Amino acid sequence: MSDITAPLTLSTTAPRKARPLPPPMVIFGLLWLSLMLATALLADVISPYAYTALDLRNRLSPPIGMGGTWLHPLGTDELGRDVLARLIYSIRMSLLIAFGATLIGAVIGTTLGFLAAHFRGFVEQVVLALVDFSASLPFLILALSVLAFFGNSMVLFICLLGFHAWERYARIARGLAISASGQGYAAAVRQLGASPWRIYGRHVLPNIASTLIVSMTLAFPEIILLESGLSFLGLGVQPPATSLGSMVGYGREYLTRAPWILLAPAFTIILTTLSVSLLGDWLRDRLDPTLR
Amino acid sequence: MMRFLASRLLRAAITIIMVVTFAFVVLRLSGDPAQIIMGADAPPEAVDAFRTAWGLDQPVWLQYFHYFGAIFQGDLGRSMRDGRDAIVLVTERIPATLALTIPALIIKLGLGIPAGITAALHRNSFIDRAVMLLAVAGFTVPSFVLGLLLVLVFAVQLGWLPSGGQESWRHAILPIITMGVGGAAVLARFTRSAMLEVLGQPYIRTASAKGVPWHAVVWGHALPNAAIPTVTIVGFMVGSLIAGAVVVESVFSWPGVGRLLVVAVANRDLAVVQCILLLVAATMVTANLVVDLLYGLLDPRLRNQPKRAAA
Repeated sequence: MSDITAPLTLSTTAPRKARPLPPPMVIFGLLWLSLMLATALLADVISPYAYTALDLRNRLSPPIGMGGTWLHPLGTDELGRDVLARLIYSIRMSLLIAFGATLIGAVIGTTLGFLAAHFRGFVEQVVLALVDFSASLPFLILALSVLAFFGNSMVLFICLLGFHAWERYARIARGLAISASGQGYAAAVRQLGASPWRIYGRHVLPNIASTLIVSMTLAFPEIILLESGLSFLGLGVQPPATSLGSMVGYGREYLTRAPWILLAPAFTIILTTLSVSLLGDWLRDRLDPTLR
Repeated sequence: MMRFLASRLLRAAITIIMVVTFAFVVLRLSGDPAQIIMGADAPPEAVDAFRTAWGLDQPVWLQYFHYFGAIFQGDLGRSMRDGRDAIVLVTERIPATLALTIPALIIKLGLGIPAGITAALHRNSFIDRAVMLLAVAGFTVPSFVLGLLLVLVFAVQLGWLPSGGQESWRHAILPIITMGVGGAAVLARFTRSAMLEVLGQPYIRTASAKGVPWHAVVWGHALPNAAIPTVTIVGFMVGSLIAGAVVVESVFSWPGVGRLLVVAVANRDLAVVQCILLLVAATMVTANLVVDLLYGLLDPRLRNQPKRAAA
């Protein structure tokens, strides 16, 4: 719109400048996350050893800087397994779970939110009651009870984490979809005879996507923390598979003798969640129209 | 006000019923509890006897009604491992958990709220940036990592404090700090954004413009309004006094409810898990109810509104 009206009025604003670079912390976050993604994708190529490979002659050997050698740059654990190799595969596992679970949560939540907005009435009340239910319990407790009742498997674990934060997407999607249907464009395509699928999929969703994406960047580090917390407690990813949390849990046994087993995954978790949070805050400031 | 109260009470009751139903459904979906407890190679007669003893041979709907009835009589079943009442097993752990979570809550409030307010009042200053960076760091470091790092420094390297157990008050220091720091970070972030939102409102400008001194604007106009959203998150923290210590208790081998829950989950001691689930839900729902009532007191606009403003 502004393109059409601009020539008619005297321009009082300065010409648009080139976009400023994001703040250094955000750039750092982006770089770290790219490194993590590359590590996860190329795990098989860059890993120096298989993550289950034993080197019994070099058990509990320290990392470089603490008297170690380049043979095992981050040291080895009690069984002589290379910490760097385990770290690389743990990053892959943790990111895979976090991506999968975030997507599941966003899809479930958005779908239920749209259903509530479309049908209103009884369906809406049911969805809202479910939202209240899951907002009223700490998710960790819910997850622990499901794990107690069903036992553990990889698929169940990812789906379970997928239920984290679904109620937030549902709330956002419902609220925005209701206000969207009050606006002209949704009513216009409905008048043109578009099916609900088309209205919500092609018209409403793109309009509210930025808010949903911001929620996803907030949920992503929470899921990494949840996964690593559960795995740390021994109730998440089960051996021989390894994740950042289960590495910390294993390393805890060797806290006094070999702290490097624990420190490497611990700092990876911290830096990754920190990066996603910084990036998410920055994105929210840029994308969320309510904050301008 | 009565209508407001009634709708909130109804909501709380529905939530509790849903949690009970959830526990029942999940319990029954998870397979045959008798087989799980007795093991796969238990003799069939023993499994049948177990089923009769626990009422597992009745139709599902009847079990559901019995289940409801029993719960409202305070009978939450027995630990399937050692045969003691689950509720006794859980309640005797509560004091230990509260001994950690209440001091931690005080730290969260005492550190988080002033930090958030200070940061908001000095927006974009050095103080603001420093507080926010610390808050983001405190928020993103998982509690088990923070706890283990503290153990590494203060117990292993310096040898000042014990690394785990519950023998004296000194054992409680590290777990309390671990919990308090993370919560304070969350609260600081939240308080700051609530304050910033309020400070941008027209009535603040009006108050300043008519010559009200700045400290009076802050105390009289900004803080009461910023308190409303902050109460929500504090309510959530109070509600999780019992549940909030699962990970930290495990790190420091503290014998509280959280540690009991982890052990019960690992052993699949369903009665205990279920009892903790209901206990947590009850405290959470009560805390939410109190928060809603406080809302009514703090914000006169909400009293006359039967439905939530913008869900």
